[in-house]
Amino acid sequence: MHITVSREDLIKPLGIVAGVVERRQTLPILSNILVRMTPKGLSLIGTDLEVEISAHLEVSGSQGDMTVPARKLYDICRALPAGAKIDISLEKEKALIKSGKSRFRLLTMPAAEFPAIETSNWEHSVSLPQKKLRWLLDKTMFCMAQQDVRYYLNGLLFEIGPKRLRTVATDGHRLSMADVDVSNSLEREKQVILPRKGVQEMIRFLEDSDEPVEIQIGQNHLRCNLKGLTFTSKLIDGRFPDYNKVIPVNQGKMVMVNREAFRETLNRAAILSNEKYRGVRFGLSKGVMTITAHNPEQEEAQEEMAVKYDDEDLEIGFNVNYISDAAAALDSEEVEFNLNDPNSSCVLRTPGSTNNLYVVMPMRL
Amino acid sequence: MATAGADCYWPRAILHLDMNAFFASVEQRDFPELRGRPVGVTNGEVGTTLITCSYEARAHGVKTGMRIYDARRLCPDLIQRPSRPGVYVRESTRIMGALTNLTPDVEVFSVDEAFLDVTHCQRLHGTPEHMARWAQTLVRNVSGGLPCSVGVAGTKLTAKYASDVLKPDGITVIPPWEARDRLRDVPVEKICGIGPRIAAFLASHGARTCGDVAALPMNVLARRYGVTGKHLWLACQGRDTGAVMHDVAPPKTVGHGKVLPPRTTSARVVETYLRHMCEKVAGRLRRLDMQAGRLYIGLRYGFPDHGIETVIAVPHGTPDGRQFYESARAFLQAHWRGEAVTQVQVTATHLINTSGQLELFSPEEVRTLHRFDAIDRINNKYGEFTIAPATILERSTMPNVIAPAWRPDGHRQTIPD
Repeated sequence: MHITVSREDLIKPLGIVAGVVERRQTLPILSNILVRMTPKGLSLIGTDLEVEISAHLEVSGSQGDMTVPARKLYDICRALPAGAKIDISLEKEKALIKSGKSRFRLLTMPAAEFPAIETSNWEHSVSLPQKKLRWLLDKTMFCMAQQDVRYYLNGLLFEIGPKRLRTVATDGHRLSMADVDVSNSLEREKQVILPRKGVQEMIRFLEDSDEPVEIQIGQNHLRCNLKGLTFTSKLIDGRFPDYNKVIPVNQGKMVMVNREAFRETLNRAAILSNEKYRGVRFGLSKGVMTITAHNPEQEEAQEEMAVKYDDEDLEIGFNVNYISDAAAALDSEEVEFNLNDPNSSCVLRTPGSTNNLYVVMPMRL
Repeated sequence: MATAGADCYWPRAILHLDMNAFFASVEQRDFPELRGRPVGVTNGEVGTTLITCSYEARAHGVKTGMRIYDARRLCPDLIQRPSRPGVYVRESTRIMGALTNLTPDVEVFSVDEAFLDVTHCQRLHGTPEHMARWAQTLVRNVSGGLPCSVGVAGTKLTAKYASDVLKPDGITVIPPWEARDRLRDVPVEKICGIGPRIAAFLASHGARTCGDVAALPMNVLARRYGVTGKHLWLACQGRDTGAVMHDVAPPKTVGHGKVLPPRTTSARVVETYLRHMCEKVAGRLRRLDMQAGRLYIGLRYGFPDHGIETVIAVPHGTPDGRQFYESARAFLQAHWRGEAVTQVQVTATHLINTSGQLELFSPEEVRTLHRFDAIDRINNKYGEFTIAPATILERSTMPNVIAPAWRPDGHRQTIPD
C-alpha cells in the first residue's frame, strides 16, 4: 500500500482515532491503529475493545492495509511542519513515513489480527445537529460515577423517547438530566447506558455546529455517524435506576439566586470547606442566604447573599462541589433552587424550564 | 561535636513514660486492702491468664502472661482481681492529658505508655532529666500517686529501653552521646521491635548484644528486613530516627474479635459471639461516620493455624450489625462443620468516609439513620448495648480488652464508658 496525504488533512482524524488507544495495553495490537486503503479512500481505525472510532479520508493511493503504533504515528505527524506532504507506505513489514527530508520506519503488525467490534443489527436511530448532542453531554456527563460498584452508574443514560432525546447521569449523590427535541420519533422509550470512556471520547469529536450526527442503537452497541467519522461503543449491560423516582415533584420552598454571584460565593466558601468531604452549610431566611464552611483546622468561611426567598428559616448542608457544578452547568442568569427539608433532595434549574435540571442530596451536618 | 555537659541542649530529647504495673497499681490505689500485697489482674472473674501483676507478686517470680494456676504455685497468697477496663482507660486518658502540660508532642504508645518529644522545651523547662521528674510529678498528682518510670534519651527506642532499667518509679537518663556505649552490652531482645525471630536471625550472625549488631554491616539486616532492618540496626546504636507521632492516621480497618470459652462447639454460642462482634463493628463504624465495602469473617479452631475465614463484599450503606451478621451466618452455615471454635473475628475493610452525605437511591436511609441515631445516643449515655438485639443478651460476659492500639480519643478509643 502507498498513500500520500497532506499533514492538515490527516492530523485531526488521526488525533481523534489515536485518542481512543489506551496508553497501557494488555494486547500489543491495541496500541496500534489500523490503516486501510480501499477504492473508497483511507480508513483509520482505533479501538480499546470497548470503543472504536474509524475515520474516513478521501485520498488517492494504492490499496492495502497494516497496523502502526498510534501514538508514534500521531506524534510524528504533529511534529512535521505545517503544510507538509506525508507519504505512507508499507515496506518489508515496516511502515515507512516520508515527508521532505524526514524518514521514519515504524514496526507494523498484520491487519488481519486487528480486533474489530462486532455489531449486530441497529434497531433504532435518531438524527440531530452535533451541537445539540454536545449540549446534552456538556450538561450531564460530569455527574457520572467513577469506578462505582454499581457499574451501571459509570456511564451516561441515553433515553430516546417520542420526539425527545434525554441524557441522565448520577453518582448516587446527585443527578443531572437534559432533554433536546428531535424530529425522528419512536413509539416507545428506549434506554441505553453508554460507558464513561465512550462519553468522554464522544465529546472530543462533536463540534458546536449544525452538521448532523446520526445515533444508532443496537442490542449491545451505540453508534454515531458523522461526516467522515464512525464512532461505535459497547453499552453497559445493566439497568439504570429509576431516575424519575428521585426527581422531586412537590417542593415547598423556592429560592431564586443570581447564578454568577452564587457561583462566586460558593467558590469562596469552598476554600475553607473540608478538602475531602466538601460540606458547607446553607442557612435560609427571608431574603438572605448564608453559606458557612469549616475545615478540620477550625478555620471558617461565612458568606451572605441576597436571594429571593419568602418562607420559614431552613438550615441544610451540601457538598459544595455538587451545587457549584450544577450552577456552573446551567446557562441562565438566575437559578431556581427548590428545597423541602434538610433530609431530602434539592433541585436546581433554569427558572421555568424543564429541559435541564440537577438533583442533589444533602449532607447531614 | 557536642560536649557532655549538664547545661548543653540535647539535639533531640525524648522521654518514654511507662506506668508501672498499671492495672494492678490502679487496683491497689482504689482498694487499700490490696496495698503491699501480691495482686494479679485477670480478664474478668473467669480469666485464666494474668494481664498484669503487682510488684509484690513479681517479687515471687510471677510474671505478666502467666496462667493463674502457675502463678499460685509461685505465690500462694496471690489475690486475683477482675480487670476494670473502663477505669483504666479513663485513668490513662487523664494521665495522657496531664502530660500535654509538659509538651504538646505526646505520642500515646499504648494504654500505659507514652513518648514525649521535649527537644523544643529545653529552654523553657530546663534539662531533660528535670522534665522527666516533672512528668513523674504530673502523673502522680493527676492519678493519686500511681508509680511510673521514665527513660530519657535522644531517640525513642533508647528512651523506651531506658524506662525499663529502673522500676518502679525510676528515672534513667542516657544522653545521646553516651547511647552507643551504654547500649553496647544490652541483649538485643531488650530493644523494642526485636522479638524472638529477629533475635534468632541476629544470633545466627553471631550478634547477641546491641554492640554486636552495630558491628555487623547494615546490609545484613537491611537485606533481610528492608527499611525495618535499617531502623533496628540504627536503634541498636541509639541512632533510630522515628518521630514522636502525635496524630493517629485514619483507620483502614475496624475490627473486633473475641476468645470463646474452651471447646465451644455449640452453633448458638458461636452465632451469638459473631453477632456480638458484628454489632460492635457496626456501632463503631457509625460512630466514625464510615461505611464498609468488605467484611472479613474469621473463626479460629483449637489448634494453631486451623480455622476458616472469608472476605465478603457488602454494599456501602449505613453500617448495620444485623446485615453484617447475615453475611457472617451464611458463611458459617456453608463452611463450619462443628469444630471447636476458640476465637471469632469480624473486621470491616475498604472503608469510606461518608461524613453525612445522603444517598439518592435509598429512600429508607433517612429512617434507618434516625433509628440508629437514637440507639447510639442511648448506648452512649447508658452504656454499650443498653439497647441491643435480643440475641446478644446471651453474649460473652468477659469485659472488653484494651487493645495495644488503644488511644484516648479518635477511632482507636474502643472501650465504651
